[in-house]
Amino acid sequence: MAGVRLEHLAKAYDKGPLVIRDVNIDIKDKEFVVLVGPSGCGKSTLLRMIAGLESITGGHLYIGDRRVNEVPASERDIAMVFQNYALYPHMTVFENMAFGLKLRGLPKEEIRQRVEKAARMLEIETLLDRRPKDMSGGQRQRVAIGRAIVRNPQVFLFDEPLSNLDAKLRGQTRIELQKLHRELNATMIYVTHDQVEAMTLGDRIVVLRNGDVMQQDTPLNLYNHPANQFVAGFIGSPPMNFLPGRICADGPLRFESRGGMLGIDLSEYPQAATLRAYQGKPVVLGIRAEHIRRRPGPNERRFFRRLVPVEAVENMGSETMVYFPLETQRFIARLSADYPIPADQPLDLFWDLGKLHFFDAETEVAIR
Amino acid sequence: MLRYLLLTLAAASFLYPFIWMVSASLSSENGLSSLTLLPVEPTWSNYVNMFSKIPLGRAFLNSVLVAVVTTGLVLVSGAMAGYALARMRFRGRNLIFYLIIFTMTLPMQITLIPNYISMVKLGWVDTYFALIMPFVLNSLSILLFRQAFMGLPQALIDAARLDGCGELRIIFQILLPNILPTVLTITILTFMGLWNEALWPLIVIRDEPTMTMPQLVTLFSVGGRAEAQLGVKIAAAVMLALPIVVLYLFFQRHFIRSMASSGLKD
Repeated sequence: MAGVRLEHLAKAYDKGPLVIRDVNIDIKDKEFVVLVGPSGCGKSTLLRMIAGLESITGGHLYIGDRRVNEVPASERDIAMVFQNYALYPHMTVFENMAFGLKLRGLPKEEIRQRVEKAARMLEIETLLDRRPKDMSGGQRQRVAIGRAIVRNPQVFLFDEPLSNLDAKLRGQTRIELQKLHRELNATMIYVTHDQVEAMTLGDRIVVLRNGDVMQQDTPLNLYNHPANQFVAGFIGSPPMNFLPGRICADGPLRFESRGGMLGIDLSEYPQAATLRAYQGKPVVLGIRAEHIRRRPGPNERRFFRRLVPVEAVENMGSETMVYFPLETQRFIARLSADYPIPADQPLDLFWDLGKLHFFDAETEVAIR
Repeated sequence: MLRYLLLTLAAASFLYPFIWMVSASLSSENGLSSLTLLPVEPTWSNYVNMFSKIPLGRAFLNSVLVAVVTTGLVLVSGAMAGYALARMRFRGRNLIFYLIIFTMTLPMQITLIPNYISMVKLGWVDTYFALIMPFVLNSLSILLFRQAFMGLPQALIDAARLDGCGELRIIFQILLPNILPTVLTITILTFMGLWNEALWPLIVIRDEPTMTMPQLVTLFSVGGRAEAQLGVKIAAAVMLALPIVVLYLFFQRHFIRSMASSGLKD
């Protein structure tokens, strides 16, 4: 196994603008790194550059200690699992898994052993004689993973491998991928637009937007300490609530919403000193849905209380999502499902001041 | 009911001349004026006479050789050009594609003389090269291959590349097996076109042992060697049609699909 290092990596098609800009990521050996971002952010392009399926316009790419910018895909010692499986339709499962090994000139017996071992690991031994068209989506995905495993590569690349599976199967496969990572103890780079997959699978997540890395950190750090408004809004479901306003420090420290409907006393806010520097400047307040509560916690003294009109209620069984308007924004609160919430009455809600986030409205960078 | 009646009449109008031709080839010279569908005074003499007058066996082998080799080369060249136009990025790709499409609009008669001059200059007149080489690059096959390759997912090519395939292996080992209907369509259309080709061989081949069946049968029928014996001419025409009919019986479904997908017929 080996680590992967991206140094100032850049990509442009023909003479067009850069679609990947100065990306620096150091992926450790045996690490599971997830590249996540909305459609068109460049995550798949980055993965294809690592795979050798796209040329590199600038920067350096290392697999282990070897610079591989000009090394053909087949010689990079990597394996890739594709979104639509990319199994060869005219070959059986065995032939699909064995094809790459045959081309490398491995002895027949070793090929058989490797294929059977991977098939056992993925519980697809009974499918070896079938063709892809005779299998379900989940089975095909296992074969695609098996085809990667038999190559015993230094790095596994996954390009949205669960996108074509239904929700239930996606959940199961996520757990199996975690298990597989533990068993193989391999370096894995995984691309997805689904932040739930990113949060549950990655040792580290790299959030991309328009070809730029917005933040790379552990899933919990990304969730709890987003570096900017984009990451705060992208990571987490439902997304973080935002409200533009400004900081007033000409008396007690306060946040005032842009429309003037909301004023929050921030004298108890943990990073009050940092916020003071933003006196009079436009900022964006952020708060996650679960940090707006029906009543404050037993030891919670720092909260902001507000009566809000309820726009809609979604009862999810385990929790209740309450939607309410705040100036031009629609806020979501994730509340306990223990108490029924009537949709037509105002609701008294408590905002946990310790969980508030503030972002510079111009740069979108988190104020810490 | 009326629809079936009309369809039956249409089918009969297509079938009747062919069945009559077979029947007439087995009739004696006296029975040829009859329009019945059964041979009059049945005899093999027309076939015996024909085989004694012209080297049809040799012409048959020539036709098979030319049609098989050319079809094979058309498949190889068409697949490679189609792949490049569908999947490779290079300057002028679309211009080349449009030029290839443009050549499809030119009738063969326009290129007949330039092609003949080329054959003379290359010294290929009266050789198999003259029968094969002008047909090796076929714009229809390039078009059909390009469209078929564009319909396959890019990931299939990416996976093959990661497995260690070069471009040729990607085309012939990974992609072609997944577009077999297109391969069959091109095979059938090319083979039929070449098998029935009489005009070009008449221009470039004068040496009898190199002649193909359509050329030989045409020369036999209009060139006086049949000595005005209509039955012998008809027997030669049956022999010419026979291989395509036999092939049609085996690949009926694919023939129909080929004609429908190309929108063309000779």
